[in-house]
Amino acid sequence: MKPKIYILVVEDEPEVLDSIVRDIAEFEEYFEIEMADTAEEAEQIIQEILDNEHMIGLILCDHVLPGKNGVDLLIEMQKSEHTKPTKKVLITGQAGLEETVKAVNEANLKHYIAKPWEKKELVNITRTLLTDFVIESVKDPLKYMQVLDAQRLAEEIRTGRHITDS
Amino acid sequence: MEKTKAVGLILGIIGFIIPLMIQIPGLSLAGHLAMSIFILAAIFWMFETIPIYSTSILVIFLEVILLSAEGLISHTDASYSPVAYTQFVATLADPIIILFLGGFVLADAAVKYNFDRNMSRILLKPFGTDPKYIILGLMAVTAVLSAFMSNTATTAMMITVIIPILAKTDISDPARISIALCIPFAANIGGVATPIGTPPNAVVIAALNQQGVGIEFGSWMLYAMPLAIVMLIVAWYLLLKLHPPATSTLNLDLKGEWMKNRKAYTLYIVFALTVILWISESLHGIRSSIVALFPVAVLTLTNTFEKEDIRKLPWEVLWLIAGGISLGIAMKETGLADWVIGSIAWDQMGYLLLLSLFGVVAIVLSNFLSNTVTASLMIPLGISLATSGIIEGPASILIIGLVIALSTSFAMVLPISTPPNAIAVSTGVVKTKDMIVAGSLIGAVAMILIILMTRFYWPYIL
Repeated sequence: MKPKIYILVVEDEPEVLDSIVRDIAEFEEYFEIEMADTAEEAEQIIQEILDNEHMIGLILCDHVLPGKNGVDLLIEMQKSEHTKPTKKVLITGQAGLEETVKAVNEANLKHYIAKPWEKKELVNITRTLLTDFVIESVKDPLKYMQVLDAQRLAEEIRTGRHITDS
Repeated sequence: MEKTKAVGLILGIIGFIIPLMIQIPGLSLAGHLAMSIFILAAIFWMFETIPIYSTSILVIFLEVILLSAEGLISHTDASYSPVAYTQFVATLADPIIILFLGGFVLADAAVKYNFDRNMSRILLKPFGTDPKYIILGLMAVTAVLSAFMSNTATTAMMITVIIPILAKTDISDPARISIALCIPFAANIGGVATPIGTPPNAVVIAALNQQGVGIEFGSWMLYAMPLAIVMLIVAWYLLLKLHPPATSTLNLDLKGEWMKNRKAYTLYIVFALTVILWISESLHGIRSSIVALFPVAVLTLTNTFEKEDIRKLPWEVLWLIAGGISLGIAMKETGLADWVIGSIAWDQMGYLLLLSLFGVVAIVLSNFLSNTVTASLMIPLGISLATSGIIEGPASILIIGLVIALSTSFAMVLPISTPPNAIAVSTGVVKTKDMIVAGSLIGAVAMILIILMTRFYWPYIL
């Protein structure tokens, strides 16, 4: 089975969770979107995904969660080999400077989106980071050309030499 | 394993066993084994049970252990004198492979130093702002580049050029379809113009060389380039008719800069020199395979092309070609090719009809199969047709070779027909049905032209 790429959204307030998922709906056709309302549930979902030999391309994570907080989840993901390549984004209004710095330094945080967010910003950063992920981790970028940054993917095909004449 | 691959595996194994269970009169044991290998290879290639380059290596491996003098089977049949295993293995370094290696090094170096992109920028400038002529320009540039680089790499690069153009056009403008389709078509068409344009050319030229028929670089261009030029114009005209642009101006606005460091200049000079040496082979007499060593040597010794670049070369394409060449050797030496040709009553068919049949089968098959594989499967049979005298005339081997090579390149009907087609469809701008319509028309016209050339052009210049 060809590996699928997942987008994981972690947010404890249901309306906010739905709102995020609605905003990134255009990526649904090519990426699987999974939701969790706690870090612990997220970890379970991550384990299932990895057990099925799929990949997690992007995680959009709130910081203040019941139980483990978002930054700690991201740091653990960074430490684990299979979730290290995942692009990590915080969507929150409540992470202080210290925690944000920790996320950047220890979790390789790719982007910080402050609540309330603009749909355009969320969609753009999702597209950019998923494009980064596909270029780094996927051998066949062709099928994502329509939903991701086609220019960059085409350039990657040109220089990466994955596809050749046959 | 996926269903189709599993089916291919089973059919392939059955296909391999069948010739071993029957006794065909007039065919040596080696011929039966060659038939087993041929059927296994054809099925594995068709179903892609294993990667196609893998099948090619499997072919060489099976030939060595089953057909060679040093293999597991001792051939006592008088009609087959066992081929030394080195002959099968040596296909991996056939002069044609070296020629293609030189081409690949030049092409990859061109990409590394953005030579391809900068060339396309310059070549596109004179074409102005009228969408009709911009499309012509895109096609001309793509074709010229893909004559020297792989069709796929050229397509990938030109897609990066057209994406900003597409972003500026209105979504309902049919010009978008013309623009997106013209790239893979032009890339495939341009690939026929030179020996290094596309791998099927390699398999055919190598097979002809085995028969003692050599083709110079410039000679191939003389035979094939007129077809490429005419078909380019035909395809352009056709695309404009099918999808006429709605707007009257398109601003290309191409950005980029020429790299100006020592290594880039080295590349520019070596590239130009190599092409000149190749094209002028009839003047200086140095074989194109030998010329091909020049860029490989100079670019690597000046560190313009480094170890990582060498590792990224498409070695699997060279394996693919080598497998095809070795299959041809096996079929010829064991007498299988002659036997296949001998078993069919060709005398009922006229010369032109026979050539057309080969051409049509080649173009139809390679719409579904890799072009190189189609050429590999058909050229041994085509050559046998010529050597057994069924097709007559001194140039018959050359003509049948050209028919097969050129026909495979005009198979552009489906996204799976060639990688450039797949890349174009992946942009989402082109629907498969647009490609089917345009590709079929172009393929049909090309087929007619090729057959006309066998009668009215090639016999007079060969």
